[in-house]
Amino acid sequence: MRRFRSWYWLALGSALLVTAVIAVANGAVAVSIDAVFDALLGRGDPTAIAIVRDLRLPRVALGALVGAGLGASGAALQGALRNPLAEPYLLGVSGGAAVGAVIAFAVGATSDAVITLAGFAGGIAAVFVALGVARVGARTARADVRTLLIAGVIVGAFANAAIMVALANSSPNNIRGALWWMMGSAADATWQRVGWLAVSILFAGGALVYWAREIDVLSLGEDTAASLGVDVERAGRRAFLIAALLAAATVAAAGLIGFVGLVVPHIARAMGLRAHRPLIIASALTAATLVVAADLAARTVAAPTELPLGAITALLGVPFFLIQLRRVA
Amino acid sequence: MIAFKDLVVSYPGVAHNAVDGVSFVAERGRLTALAGPNGSGKSSIVRALLRRADILRGVATLGRDVGTLSYAELARGIAVVPQREEPAFPVQVREYVALGRYPHLGLWRSPSRDDEAAVAEALAQAGVVDLSDRNTDALSGGEWQRVRIARALAQKAPAIVLDEPTTFLDVAHEMAIFELLFSLARSGLAVLLVSHQLNLVARFADTIVVLDHGRIAISGGPNDVMRADRLESIYEWPVVISRDPAIGAPALVPLRRPLHH
Amino acid sequence: MFLHVRHRQSYFCLALAIAASACAKTRSEPVAGRDDFGDTIRIAAAPTRIVSLNPATTEILFTLGAGSRIIGRTEYDLWPDSARLIPAMGGGISINVEAVLGARPDLVLLYASAENRSAADRLRAAGINTVSLKVDHIADFRRTTELLGAILHDSARARVVIDSVQRTLDRVRSTTRGAPQPRIFWHIWDSPLITVGSGSFMSELVDIAGATNVYSDINGPSGPISLEDVARRDPDFILAGPIGAAQINGDPRWRIVRAARDKKILVVDTTLVARPAVRLGEAAVSLARLLHPGLVR
Repeated sequence: MRRFRSWYWLALGSALLVTAVIAVANGAVAVSIDAVFDALLGRGDPTAIAIVRDLRLPRVALGALVGAGLGASGAALQGALRNPLAEPYLLGVSGGAAVGAVIAFAVGATSDAVITLAGFAGGIAAVFVALGVARVGARTARADVRTLLIAGVIVGAFANAAIMVALANSSPNNIRGALWWMMGSAADATWQRVGWLAVSILFAGGALVYWAREIDVLSLGEDTAASLGVDVERAGRRAFLIAALLAAATVAAAGLIGFVGLVVPHIARAMGLRAHRPLIIASALTAATLVVAADLAARTVAAPTELPLGAITALLGVPFFLIQLRRVA
Repeated sequence: MIAFKDLVVSYPGVAHNAVDGVSFVAERGRLTALAGPNGSGKSSIVRALLRRADILRGVATLGRDVGTLSYAELARGIAVVPQREEPAFPVQVREYVALGRYPHLGLWRSPSRDDEAAVAEALAQAGVVDLSDRNTDALSGGEWQRVRIARALAQKAPAIVLDEPTTFLDVAHEMAIFELLFSLARSGLAVLLVSHQLNLVARFADTIVVLDHGRIAISGGPNDVMRADRLESIYEWPVVISRDPAIGAPALVPLRRPLHH
Repeated sequence: MFLHVRHRQSYFCLALAIAASACAKTRSEPVAGRDDFGDTIRIAAAPTRIVSLNPATTEILFTLGAGSRIIGRTEYDLWPDSARLIPAMGGGISINVEAVLGARPDLVLLYASAENRSAADRLRAAGINTVSLKVDHIADFRRTTELLGAILHDSARARVVIDSVQRTLDRVRSTTRGAPQPRIFWHIWDSPLITVGSGSFMSELVDIAGATNVYSDINGPSGPISLEDVARRDPDFILAGPIGAAQINGDPRWRIVRAARDKKILVVDTTLVARPAVRLGEAAVSLARLLHPGLVR
């Protein structure tokens, strides 16, 4: 197995920085590199400054934060659930967030703040409903992993039904807006959204890093973890909730962006990381780079049309599953 | 030492108790074995120690009532090797065993000299030092079991509990594990072993407790417990006890009973 | 008032025409042809119970004096005001065939979109005259009005309506032709950012009102476009509805577009330009007034 060298951190950080610079320097309007740097400092053509500072920079920042949140969430969930196929939208987070946002679209409350809040509230509500369903469904008072996963599927199914009902009688404009939201995009990045997301990621991500060693122990097995003094149910619930919070925050900010949270932790592990503290951080960095690159592709590949971000990241899924298939066969 | 007094363990939704009033002691320096037919409650006792099953009545003590200990204190008092479990993602053996220090280190403390020494000792005791750099998914069955025991030893707890540690192991590995457990007991640990391998248990254990339907059917030293009449009624199968001087312990031999068509 | 000889002559012709068409009214000539789904139309008597599930056809029917024959509309058919008195039968995206059948219409008018295909088939299978029309261009407005006029056995009135609209459009076009043609961006929707390319009546209106659409290279409604691209195309004006204009004004990112920075945002009455129907003339006039103030009466 590969050994993770310390200079890998430097490489990861540099990759993120370089990708971010390329992303800020590119777009529909040609802005030379010097002009970009000038614009960052507030000098030069006011249009260029506006493009770089008010449009591209918040968009890149949002993409990076969304990636970081999804990468960290996925890494933590895969460890806590002992499942290499776990991903941030388990427990119905994506379904719940989508329901929240779609209902806002359907009733015509389409202001930015309302949609974001509705999406976040929906995601968190879904997690609590899943926890409740798991507790009621299982005969014990302990909500173990399998029950939680099934509860998540149930919540997700119900959410899909609710979305279809809400959209069935919406106006075409609202339907288009809801669909666009669900396909994921960093296009509506404003500094407010970026700030709000940054705070959420700082807290939730920080909490995951704090409890990372507990996830190391959890990933050994439920009974083994219990024998090492971990309250397995409580620790598992804690990990789910924090990871779900991260996921809900990213969904609220940029819609549904699939596969990043699933694939990136595997990339981090392939680099030789095993302990969850460095694994979560490396996943966050790598996923941030990936999402920024994907967003750049989304807005340049088919210009002037913008592709949904979720479509580009979904392309990640294909090689990933091919590799997994070869490994199993 | 681990003591159980009138322990009653039940699972929600199940009518009868899995463990229905069991009292015994696993002394320090002794190898105590818990045996009995499938479903007699052996594993439930281990799960109760792990707080993965509810203790309805009675008490398990480790000096103090186990229920009064925090999770970390419990893990420092008893090291449990549950039935076979694999980590979800491969880890290096050294790192795996080092996680045995978690009850002492918690979330943030870095390993000290003493922690590293404990890990080295555990690897040596379990005889897996040469496996330190290998990954957990590249071990044979026997090697993996010894690595798991090493992890439990790294916890440096005065008591160690093992649940069926030799299933799927061949003769050589099985004997090696039992010799290891025996030597651990002699070195001062309280070793509680759950095993349905009555014959091996009879050769190595100091005390054997045989459970039947959640209660103690018979307990004592190997010679007290290995009696054909008692074991026949417990296991519901005709047996014969043979004493071969080469072995030095009574051995249980099940008789053939042709199937009726 | 000023009864010139020429005017007297034209009034005479008009009287003849009306007399002739009055005769035409009494003849029950079946209307035949194909609608925009390729289905055959065969309508003999003028229908008296019409379900019009398309805002354009609803407007046209009212203008042709057949408003009282409409027994069902979509939620979005809100002009003229008396249309609101008609029961709404859904949002026009998905058609509740049962509800339509329950009203026992003798003519159903649908928008010829892919999702209405099966509804059209089922209505026809139930024996109801169903006509599906794509009303996207100004030419579509003309032929729809002609068709509806023929169906109502009032082709003359249809002709009058068409001519009146056409005259206004021609007038606006000729008035604005000489003036410099500003380049405009039409802001349709915000999340995602969408505009209209060429090939819709809105673009035609822009053309008539004496301007050019910076997105005329795209055919049809655009997909989501990036704000940067709008900045690159640098329109002179932004056309937007009241909500859109408020969004643009409140969003600091729009500052990258010169027209938004200079507050060159023209607020359009979206109800007027929502569909290519009888108010096309008014729509062209109002657009021209926005783009060329003082030029058009």
